[in-house]
Amino acid sequence: MPKPRFRHIGAALPRKEDLRLLTGHGRYVDDIEIPGALHACFVRSPHPHARIAGIDTKAALSMPGVFAVFTGKDLAQWTTPLRMAPPIEGLHPVEMTTLPVDKVRFHGDPVACVIATSRYLAEDAAEQVEADYEALPAVADFDQALAPGAPLVDESVPSNLVSRQAFTTGEVAARKREAHRVVECTFSQQRMTHLPVETRGCAAVWDEGRRHLTLHIGSQVPHPLRTQVAARMRLSESQVTISSLDVGGGFGQKIALYREELTVAAASRQLKRPVRWREDRMENLLAASHAREDRCRTRAAVTKEGRLLGLELQIEEDFGAYCFYPANYLARVVAMILTGPYKVRDYAFEVKVALTNKCGNGPMRAPMAITSWVMEGTMDAIARELALDPLEVRRLNMVEPGELPYAMPTGEVIADITPRETLEAAVKAIDYAGFRARQAAARREGRYLGLGLCSVVESTTYGSRFYKAAGIPGSGHEAAWLRIEPSGAVNASVGLGPTGQGYETAFAQVVAEGLGVEPASVRVHMGNTDVAPYGMGSRGARGGTAGSATLFLCARDANEKVLAIAAKMLGFDSPEGLRMVDGRVEREVLGERIETGIALAQIARTAYLDPTALPAGMAPGLDFSKTYDPPPMTYSNAAHACEVELDPETGALRILRYFVAEDCGTVLNPFVVEGQQHGAIAMGLSGALLEHMRYDEHAQNITGSLADYLVATATDLPRFEILAMHTPSRGNPVGTKGMAEGGVMGSIGAIANAVNDALAPFGVIADRQPLSPDYLRSLLRSK
Amino acid sequence: MLEFELNVNGERHSVRAEPRKLLSDVLREDCRLTGTHVGCEHGVCGACTVLIDGQPARACLLYAVQMQDHEITTIEAIAAGGRPGALQQALHEAHGLQCGFCTAGIVMTFEAYLKENPHPSEEEVRDVLSGNLCRCTGYQNIVAAILKAAHAKA
Ligand code: FES
Ligand code: FES
Repeated sequence: MPKPRFRHIGAALPRKEDLRLLTGHGRYVDDIEIPGALHACFVRSPHPHARIAGIDTKAALSMPGVFAVFTGKDLAQWTTPLRMAPPIEGLHPVEMTTLPVDKVRFHGDPVACVIATSRYLAEDAAEQVEADYEALPAVADFDQALAPGAPLVDESVPSNLVSRQAFTTGEVAARKREAHRVVECTFSQQRMTHLPVETRGCAAVWDEGRRHLTLHIGSQVPHPLRTQVAARMRLSESQVTISSLDVGGGFGQKIALYREELTVAAASRQLKRPVRWREDRMENLLAASHAREDRCRTRAAVTKEGRLLGLELQIEEDFGAYCFYPANYLARVVAMILTGPYKVRDYAFEVKVALTNKCGNGPMRAPMAITSWVMEGTMDAIARELALDPLEVRRLNMVEPGELPYAMPTGEVIADITPRETLEAAVKAIDYAGFRARQAAARREGRYLGLGLCSVVESTTYGSRFYKAAGIPGSGHEAAWLRIEPSGAVNASVGLGPTGQGYETAFAQVVAEGLGVEPASVRVHMGNTDVAPYGMGSRGARGGTAGSATLFLCARDANEKVLAIAAKMLGFDSPEGLRMVDGRVEREVLGERIETGIALAQIARTAYLDPTALPAGMAPGLDFSKTYDPPPMTYSNAAHACEVELDPETGALRILRYFVAEDCGTVLNPFVVEGQQHGAIAMGLSGALLEHMRYDEHAQNITGSLADYLVATATDLPRFEILAMHTPSRGNPVGTKGMAEGGVMGSIGAIANAVNDALAPFGVIADRQPLSPDYLRSLLRSK
Repeated sequence: MLEFELNVNGERHSVRAEPRKLLSDVLREDCRLTGTHVGCEHGVCGACTVLIDGQPARACLLYAVQMQDHEITTIEAIAAGGRPGALQQALHEAHGLQCGFCTAGIVMTFEAYLKENPHPSEEEVRDVLSGNLCRCTGYQNIVAAILKAAHAKA
């Protein structure tokens, strides 16, 4: 690692947020006491697809404690529909009302909302709401959705194929003809859900006198959420406050404005009473947001040495019934960045997305999760078919340091990344060179080991120019403010929505660095839209990049004014040679640093309480704000290496060792970064091994509890060994590149490749996840 | 509605609640101790773990009214006088929490476990911890913190 250029950035400070969370004093939505609040409970469709013939609410309304029962027709008067119609070629516009009016589209679709004095009574009454359904045939998967004569999930779209894009550059057909071999492989990733341990929930407080709505809600994106809530309730953005204090995990599930939340907000306004809602786990599994369920096919044209000449990709994604995001948005990123660190000019892709009668999809930690599995699985397939060493195939095709910046065939430019360095470090750590001998020895004892590699190029931070080019409305900028108060206390804010990433700590370090104070004296406020500036929130891995850069630049502005005042106080014409270290102003004289005796508190007092003593023309106060738009795309990189043992009798897998070598640029706080690496790898492995949101062939969800939807526990996961190989980015003022999703991408690919290595003697290939014992046994039985 | 008393963290709480009201809800709503979290309400996630007479139990699987003659301990009692206990301190130092939603349940589980098993191995810790779901940390730092707390006490 290069020598540190920072005093506070990069320090392993334990987190500021911990004490309250450790002692039971966090403020998650459901912990916030709201006197007089009513409780909402939703009535949900048992059918995957049905006409709503009528809803009889009489019995429910007559029950004790029940205030109201609202249906789609009520909500249609009070709220506007969500229209998803970005101008993207091949993408059909779609629209949804707040609650369904005519028909339900998936098992769990909310059709009515009961409001009562307690959650228990609301649940009782919800059972008495009589919804009359006329069942319709349903589509349960991508193939059914596209079959001729398939029922339409959304009648306003001509077919269930809601989106299709194709792209070609170079001449892939010619490359295939010239190739020594065209290697074809498939990858099928199952449907999953985010599963934050805190489910969704909200509490809406309508103030009739001020005509103002306060919505307490765990949100990753407080300001964009406010824009949505206000627009859909026909309020102005000055009539809505979003307040998101502590959030029990998001992982992408807490971005969209969901229909239940909007219903609760509208109900509060109608009833002029606070209304709150906390979904139970079954609702969270059935009806919050799902993710993934995509199938990919690659065809790689290669020389006999394994050099990639051309590549084709097809993606088919099952998007569910409702679009809270443009339907092509997740799959298209996969296609855009598929080639990652590998050199190829001739490339073509086709991305198809279908609507089905399932819960709608959204981005889940690494929306592009499948990318590295597909590319690295293709690398392994090339090696397998040509009887080459998979590491050598990677080395042959990987971009060299001297070739950076390198434009991927899609035009995406990778720069300031170190894929060769991380790959070599990971293979060294896991003793790749000695592995084949160990594997052979183990096989002689009847044990089946496998080693899998996976390089990751993670797209972390989308700048506004990326969105513009993709035709998606929206911005990638971030906003911050910093105020030094008259006492010298430092308050700062940024428009992100923390869900456990330690921002209060890491950003205090960034502000401390830029301003010249100690992190302990900085308090970072986030999550309340009346306090924080309008930023784009937390998604992707933009916090450490866009967020830290904005705060750093803002703190530099503050530092400049502070030193200008200090110079005046010291009787100098200019602040040259002055700097502030931990809140005290120093002066450099002949290479020596001398204390001036001036501290930030005195400067602040002057700025606020004695403005006539300020330099001529300087405005009073110490109040700064900044916005910053990052480059179109920022990339970081990593290499994962994992060793597994497969028990061919039971299909059980054991992960023996797991290494990741990662370069995410400047590290703000190594504790936080390692924690994110652990969490991301764990989420990837949990998905690759266990998680599966299942529907039966009639589109009935059969995964309604945590006994059915399995996630990794402490005994399922190995110890992760991390090789920190961080090199600063030149494209970011702090040098960060972003991270926290790449671990998902890498672990999915590394484990799949390791399993296929272990399966090699049996001549079968696992191309589906989860890699459950059942699935692996079924592969082995087929032999 | 029933009226009854609960002994929580050494204090008597008078409660008026339906007999079917879960201990987790009574603690959070009636006793106003919101540190006990609810993540699944079906006994799987472990977030709601409290101590009943010193033994870990899932508050979402118990009716409050059944707990009248028992001593209930929640996360709020662990940091005596605002100072975190050894396990809480170890979780802080080892970065054993991210969003913090699962944390109270883990602290309560291991407050009890470490008393009876002061020198656990990593494998034993992982085995017991497998009753608590954490979606953020990948468990590694939680395991490290528990082992650290055990060593500190030893
Ligand atoms: S809430 Fe009790 S175990 Fe999950
Ligand atoms: S820290 Fe978030 S669930 Fe454990």
